[in-house]
Amino acid sequence: MDNSVANVATPARTIGVDLPLSVDFALIGHQESWRAAADVLAVLRGPERTPLPDDEIKDILPWIPPRAVCHVDVGSIVRTKSGGARAGGLYIDSFIPPDRLEAAYVHENIARVRKAAACAIQAGAKIVSLGGFSSILIEGNFDQLPDRHDTVFTTGNTLTVAFIVQGIQKMCALENRNIRKSTLLIVGATGDVGSGCARCLAPLVRRVLLSARKVERLRRLAAELEANGVQVEIETDLQRFSAEADVVICAASLASPSLLLGRIASDAIVCDAGYPKNLSPTAEMLDAKVFFGGLGQITGGMKFTPDFHGILNRHPFPDVVHGCLLEGMALALEHRFEPFSQGRGFITQERVAEIETIAARHGIYLAPLYNADGPLEDGLDARWNGREDESIGRKTKTKSNSVARYFGRRENWPAYPIFAPGVNTDR
Amino acid sequence: MEPLIDVNCSPIECTSLSPSAPIWQDILAQAMTGELLAAMNYTSLSEICDDPAEVADALEHSECERGHAAAFAAEGRKIGVQVCNNVDAKHWKRLRDAFLRCITERDFIGCLIVQEIMLESFAVASYSRVGKVGPGSLGETFARIAAEEGEHVDHAMSILRAERARDAQRFDDKVYRLHLDVMTTLAKMLAKECKDGHCEVCHSSCVKPSLFEVSLSAAELRGASLQQYLKTLDLLGIPGEVTLTWITQLPM
Repeated sequence: MDNSVANVATPARTIGVDLPLSVDFALIGHQESWRAAADVLAVLRGPERTPLPDDEIKDILPWIPPRAVCHVDVGSIVRTKSGGARAGGLYIDSFIPPDRLEAAYVHENIARVRKAAACAIQAGAKIVSLGGFSSILIEGNFDQLPDRHDTVFTTGNTLTVAFIVQGIQKMCALENRNIRKSTLLIVGATGDVGSGCARCLAPLVRRVLLSARKVERLRRLAAELEANGVQVEIETDLQRFSAEADVVICAASLASPSLLLGRIASDAIVCDAGYPKNLSPTAEMLDAKVFFGGLGQITGGMKFTPDFHGILNRHPFPDVVHGCLLEGMALALEHRFEPFSQGRGFITQERVAEIETIAARHGIYLAPLYNADGPLEDGLDARWNGREDESIGRKTKTKSNSVARYFGRRENWPAYPIFAPGVNTDR
Repeated sequence: MEPLIDVNCSPIECTSLSPSAPIWQDILAQAMTGELLAAMNYTSLSEICDDPAEVADALEHSECERGHAAAFAAEGRKIGVQVCNNVDAKHWKRLRDAFLRCITERDFIGCLIVQEIMLESFAVASYSRVGKVGPGSLGETFARIAAEEGEHVDHAMSILRAERARDAQRFDDKVYRLHLDVMTTLAKMLAKECKDGHCEVCHSSCVKPSLFEVSLSAAELRGASLQQYLKTLDLLGIPGEVTLTWITQLPM
């Protein structure tokens, strides 16, 4: 068979790559900006070659068939007789061009995700996480995936929801806000992530405002929440809510950062959990506390081969990854090869608590909060969220220095599509 | 070696009244040159085959490629242009030399890799694109020949897969070595602009900037060719992350 692990590993050694011996998990993703795509190709091209000009990248990338880009090795904080538990996997890029995330390309993009899924199956991956638009495209269409043999698929949305909810709670604590008095607005509320956030946070806040494009789905979600005694208002038009929100989650599936929030409190806490980011570069929210949500951090360490650190995970802290991808890694470390998140609208508080527990057991926690301007937390608390564990404390010093180094090198800062200079060239 | 149809590339005036005829003339010239080169390659291959069946097979392929070249020439006549060819043009000559190095080493598998995996990927992909936009019988001929070349590749794939099954590491090393030689030249041919001067096949100035006039582009032909090449390597079982690195390191 062409899909044997030996076949995956052997030729790569020819080019000096040391590969894992098993494919416990596969992560399917795509780049959210041309800058990110250029950086990926630059790594593959190697430092001795001139990077490809932007126009060449835009010409070439759409023709690249989905395929593995690198190997990923993650560590757990769980100790085994032979050391820390580890899991090995592949990052597979669907090579969806960043300017083709619109609905007009949906069939082409589903075909790309299918091909990426076929790569994961062929590589013998035991569990596959679908990142970014990959999960949005497939979450309602799991039957469109190829025959799966022993490979299971998860959208990873449950852990994304967990980290969004944790982020909101943490940000409220940092800002001395009483979440119980808050009015929560969820944009993209009927999506899998949005509805999961609604179920988890609705019992904690005073009032919930739900916004999405499809009114019928909004009504169904509102009815579900109201049945539990939650005060809910729905609108397809953000400008028409009767109340101002002071906590906002942006979880819409937008092809580009384009969301302009309407009636929200000037100092609202805003979680941008989109991939690509939701908020428009022209959104003026000077006093709002914006942070990027849905992100977790692997404290047991993560290694890319070839080295894509800071390229595939373009975050200002090491070993930070989107929750959707972390879900597959956490389940692989736990040896629970099951389709934990599938379909749309099935994420419950119980399932969120379960995946949080699994992730935490392996040292996967909420990532330090940050936005396009940089970190929102400092020092120990930022790194490890105040945990008392001694081993974590030991790591903290090193990791904090690492953060300082990271921010010392401006070229390593992520080129986020919102608020960052020059971002409009992406679109 | 048998004489070829016409390896000289003297400037030939376009007599057609169609404004796009000079563009088709150059496209046909490149295709005809490629087919003649393939014919030469198969003839050379027959000379290192020991098995009479393989000799016959190679000679049959050679005749088939000559037929393709003749078909392209005929399509030129239909639109009122004479199609030249030049297998000694700089890029094509380098490709021929790479193949001949395999012949010198009596490397049958190397020959198949160069001709069937690399050159035919280029042919199948670019002919398919031209077949979609070419007018009338010209487009049909490109599409038909693309399909026939695809069948050649299928035939070679079974031999190459069996070879890889024997020693994947050695096979992949060989493909990579040939890739550096052949695909570097092909990448220069496929570049959006001919940076090394005239290709010595186009009848006057480079045809690439004019391709948009017939609903083609150099970028599209390059992209489709590289995609076909990657897919063919996938079918051989070479890991995608390895071949991705190979193509991103090509000159663009």
